[in-house]
Amino acid sequence: MKTINLNSVLPQVFAQRSDLNSEIWKQEVTFEKGHLYLIEADSGMGKSTFCSYIIGYRHDYSGNVTFDTQVTADFKVRDWVEVRKSHISHLFQELRLFPELSAFENVEIKNKITGFKSREQIVEWFDMLGIGDKLDAKIGRMSFGQQQRVAMIRALVQPFDFILADEPISHLDDTNSQIMGEIMMTEAQRQGAGVIVTSIGKHMDLSYEKTYRL
Amino acid sequence: MNLVWKLLRQHISVPQFIGFFFANLFGMLIVLFGFQFYHDVLPVFTADDSFMKADYLIISKKIGTASTISGRTNTFDNSEIDDLSGQKFVTKAGKFTSTEYKVDANMGVNGTNVLNSELFFESVPDNFVDVPLKDWHYKAGEKVVPIILPRTYITMYNFGFAQSHSLPKISDGLVGMIDFNIFIHGNGHQEHYKGKVIGFSSRLNTILVPQAFMDWSNNYYAPNSKSDPNRLIVEVGNPADENITKYIDKKGYEVEDDKLDAEKTTYFLKMMVSMVMVVGLVISILSFYILMLSIYLLVQKNSSKLENLLLIGYSPGKVAWPYQLLTICLNISVLIIAWIILYFIRGYYMGVIETLFPEIEDGSMVPAVVVGFILFLVVTVMNQFAIRRKIMRIWWRKD
Repeated sequence: MKTINLNSVLPQVFAQRSDLNSEIWKQEVTFEKGHLYLIEADSGMGKSTFCSYIIGYRHDYSGNVTFDTQVTADFKVRDWVEVRKSHISHLFQELRLFPELSAFENVEIKNKITGFKSREQIVEWFDMLGIGDKLDAKIGRMSFGQQQRVAMIRALVQPFDFILADEPISHLDDTNSQIMGEIMMTEAQRQGAGVIVTSIGKHMDLSYEKTYRL
Repeated sequence: MNLVWKLLRQHISVPQFIGFFFANLFGMLIVLFGFQFYHDVLPVFTADDSFMKADYLIISKKIGTASTISGRTNTFDNSEIDDLSGQKFVTKAGKFTSTEYKVDANMGVNGTNVLNSELFFESVPDNFVDVPLKDWHYKAGEKVVPIILPRTYITMYNFGFAQSHSLPKISDGLVGMIDFNIFIHGNGHQEHYKGKVIGFSSRLNTILVPQAFMDWSNNYYAPNSKSDPNRLIVEVGNPADENITKYIDKKGYEVEDDKLDAEKTTYFLKMMVSMVMVVGLVISILSFYILMLSIYLLVQKNSSKLENLLLIGYSPGKVAWPYQLLTICLNISVLIIAWIILYFIRGYYMGVIETLFPEIEDGSMVPAVVVGFILFLVVTVMNQFAIRRKIMRIWWRKD
């Protein structure tokens, strides 16, 4: 997958709004593999909605989302599974971790689908992000900031053409966001992937090639 | 341990599954038992009399008080026989011939004497008897006579005698064990014959010998006496033809209708077994609902986990599989345990049935195995679809 294209996409809830002044909604937007994008928005402008359209979680919009030349509205269940498995990785704003599992298990349950990363690599990331001692701790007992780091690691243990990071550093201090940004960019560059980061203000300090306002 | 299973087994309610397990077990067991029992017992009532052709009637005249006092005969004369043969519903008619001389016989099994009695033989035309000709054959003067015994004799022997004398029980396959000695005297002759028992008949309450022997021996031992038959055997095209009943009523005849009795009994057996099976099926269906409800509840309680799994790249099939496997395992264990319990129950009741009806075939558990397997397949397939459907509802965010 080389490009993600939004062709006058508009969430149905915004259909009645006339004061819409967005660089994404109702516009022609193309995200290309290998590039770094930032999407900034005030809350309520549909950041997470944007992400959920791209990974096929929601379909309540008009217009077209296309991957390369394929219109995603025609995708079957197994096409979406394939997209989520090996083309688009998503770091959810609400994290979507499993509180019953330990931090490592939360990463491993995803890594198992493709067997993409070794245990050593995962442990190294844990150490880099300062949660190396939390490998076996239950997610439910960790702070949101720690959980955010686990979720980031989980987002990296799969092959992807694009990574969608939805407010990745909302609860992190600058040092950790710095490290997290580096890890993400290293992995994305290694895979030659595109990176799309969203933010409501505080954002990772990266050299974004293009910034869109939602 | 499988991480997906570790996640999805959260909220599994063991009591609910135990409830399902036993409900399903009882339902399955009752259905299988009903079906198996029906198959095991049915032959007792429907066993064809292998020695007699199927659709025939035995007709006699009514013996009432009036006829006894008035001395009216209960035998058929030639005009009556011709009249009957001339009826449309009759395919062929024959008469019973009785011995006109005295017969003494003794019957033994394994050298132990069982029965000593004066008795008489009867015969019907050979084409009413359905036995290979080489067995049912007599040539004038031979000392071995083929015989068909009433089944009641053998039942009497098996129950009354064999048990108390620790003799083997006799079934159809073991007729060769019976020694049957016949002593005939009349017309200045006295001879010893050996009877060769070739089988038992539950539809003819008489000791049957070949017509050839009857004709020859009557002529040889009692050349001067001749009596009319008091029973006729009639083969009919359609036993349900109402003209038969009309004709018989008009003439004041009687039909030995043991066949009808068997049909009634079979009917009641069928009805009872159907009721039992319906009860079993209802229990099975209810237990199926228990299982579906607990699975639905489980899926509902775990719906956010399931959704997250789907969002991180698990396919609906993979996510549904642990629950599908769970139902498959439950259903298989129910099926196997039901089979095992049924095996023992059947062992018990077959013991009883075999003592009562030694001639009955052993049969097998094939009916229960087949029905159980079909039931298992239907229930399991429905489970799989229901679970899959539930997961797809989560995928499409319909709940």
